[in-house]
Amino acid sequence: MTQRAYGESETVDFVIVGSGAAGGVLAKELATAGFDLVVLEAGPWQQPSQFTHDELAVERENAMLNLAFEPIQTIRANESEPARLNTGRALAYRRGVGGSSVHFAANYWRFRPIDFKERSRWGSISGTGFADWPITYEELEPYYTKVDWEIGVSGAAGPFDPRRSRPYPLPPLPNKASGVVLERGARALGLHAQVSPLAILSKPYDGRSPCLACGHCSYYGCEFGAKSSTLATVIPKAVATGRCEIRTESTAVRVETNPSGRATGVVYRDRDGRERRQRSRAVIIAANGAETTRLLLLSTSSAFPNGLANSSGNVGRYIMFNGHAGTFGRFEHPLNEYKGPVATRMVHDFYDADPKRGFYGGGGIDARFNYQPIGFALGVLPNDVPTWGAEFKRALTDYFTHSVRFYAHITSLPVATNTITLDHDHPDRWGRPGLCLTFTEHPDDMKAKHWFRDRTEELMVAAGAARLWTQPVLPADGSVHLLGTARMGNDPSESVVDRYHRAHDVRNLFICDGSSFVTSGRGQPTMTIQALAFRAADHIARFARSHDI
Amino acid sequence: MRAFAAQIIPSDQSLPGADEAGAVYFIDRAFGMPFFADIVPVVRAGLADLDTRARTLGERDFASLSPGRQVAIMRQVDRTPFFAAARMLVVIGTFADPSYGGNRHGAGRTIVGVEHRPTYSAPYGWYDAQPGPSATKPDA
Repeated sequence: MTQRAYGESETVDFVIVGSGAAGGVLAKELATAGFDLVVLEAGPWQQPSQFTHDELAVERENAMLNLAFEPIQTIRANESEPARLNTGRALAYRRGVGGSSVHFAANYWRFRPIDFKERSRWGSISGTGFADWPITYEELEPYYTKVDWEIGVSGAAGPFDPRRSRPYPLPPLPNKASGVVLERGARALGLHAQVSPLAILSKPYDGRSPCLACGHCSYYGCEFGAKSSTLATVIPKAVATGRCEIRTESTAVRVETNPSGRATGVVYRDRDGRERRQRSRAVIIAANGAETTRLLLLSTSSAFPNGLANSSGNVGRYIMFNGHAGTFGRFEHPLNEYKGPVATRMVHDFYDADPKRGFYGGGGIDARFNYQPIGFALGVLPNDVPTWGAEFKRALTDYFTHSVRFYAHITSLPVATNTITLDHDHPDRWGRPGLCLTFTEHPDDMKAKHWFRDRTEELMVAAGAARLWTQPVLPADGSVHLLGTARMGNDPSESVVDRYHRAHDVRNLFICDGSSFVTSGRGQPTMTIQALAFRAADHIARFARSHDI
Repeated sequence: MRAFAAQIIPSDQSLPGADEAGAVYFIDRAFGMPFFADIVPVVRAGLADLDTRARTLGERDFASLSPGRQVAIMRQVDRTPFFAAARMLVVIGTFADPSYGGNRHGAGRTIVGVEHRPTYSAPYGWYDAQPGPSATKPDA
């Protein structure tokens, strides 16, 4: 695709850092609204035909992720501990046009009204920054609907859904066998399995082809363009305006500001490591909760000694991942979870937190077995199955096609001492300080994982699994959900951006991605990230037009 | 290595094992891949140790032992870092994309029992093929 190319001396209206779930939407909306912009993307521009099903490269070598580019991150439980190498999940996201929306599983749960005002309902929780959002579901609803229709979401209304102003544009994808057994379990327990909304096309839509059920959604890029990544949806439209340049292999290293405290552009390193500069009238950071943090903390100056937009000290603080817990089951007949999308049914009966549980926490449960053969053979079988020999081999044959996991997606609390900070001892290849995760699970988050694991186990029994097994409930050591590190709020001393994603401290700097989240929701954050991005774009365009920027 | 691989995922009358999959051809390649650089010395040392153990039993090397004695030696070491690393290579060699040299003749797919098609259509499994309220047609 040919695209507009801006010269080095040109000053554009906006530089957007990141072309992922939020950056892609912002680029399309602002370019369509008539603004000139450059999107700085750290990774390459892969075409769908370059995506493969190569499990070794994708899931083991992390070929698409930041972890291949920057293999060393550190972790510690608290500030008094020395940081050690993070050999766990780490802070993971995809580098490349479309960002992590290319490899997501495409579960598109909306938040519900409660997610935006849970602090008022529940009360304060000690040690956390548990707070209401400065916006409501009703305010965001038109933008959830915009996501549905602009990028293509398949689904059907369920019993617990919040109000929606328009039905789904596309009917659900075919239910999988895992969805059928989840429905069976839910029915037996008096619960309600409902259709999982997916950002995957069930029918041709907007010039794109529907899903062909290749079974490689999660972690993989869709070679058919059926998955509604920003690569497949809004980015081509942004480029087609002739006003948007996606500048790839361009890693932002610093937002520049002038003596009056305004952002003047972004310094980045090109593919050869050369430092370059793109000037702009305003800057939008949409680099994900980890990279947004790094860029802000790196952008120090005499006016912003602790990093840009960080007068509250909350940049990098309150990192939330969403908790997970589940139960595996083996069924008598084949499920063949290697076909189709990740999950087609979910149970949302436990969405709300309930004081009767004795802790704060809520979530949803879906049915999935998103393992390819290597990951399955090395990490999924029950503990009593031998790890080698004839019995191991028999289990490989007996379990792969017959197994599923009921998997809970759970709230995480914004803990004040859970942070992402710069690690000067482990720089990346461009010399930028690395990322250190300081993280200890809130006791309620651990209780929630255990509680939800018990629910998944009950569901698995009720679904009629021939045998079931669980994996231990462990504290998180990273995630692809990187939430809360530049939170939104009305009070500049408590938050980084205002209700329009404008940095409290810098009038022409906007931050919009998972970092904007005030609370974590119940997993599946991308739908809300994109609704926020569509909403932010409306307001940013309004500010720019009225010279209020 | 080949004898070791054949004990991790053995061949039998109905299904291929790591041997038919040509896992060792992948492992040859893996020894030169940067991604596996950390474990290669561990695997090499462990394989040498298997041969040493075989010699104490009066055989030339591990591969010359009877299958029963191979298994007995492997049981002695199957909780070591070597074993975990070598087992991982055998599994990857059996299931990884054939372009890496292993997983020959669709062996990996045959072992886990999946159809080999680039795309599929519903119903996918047994449960969603049964008539009932759960069945959701693509256009429902």
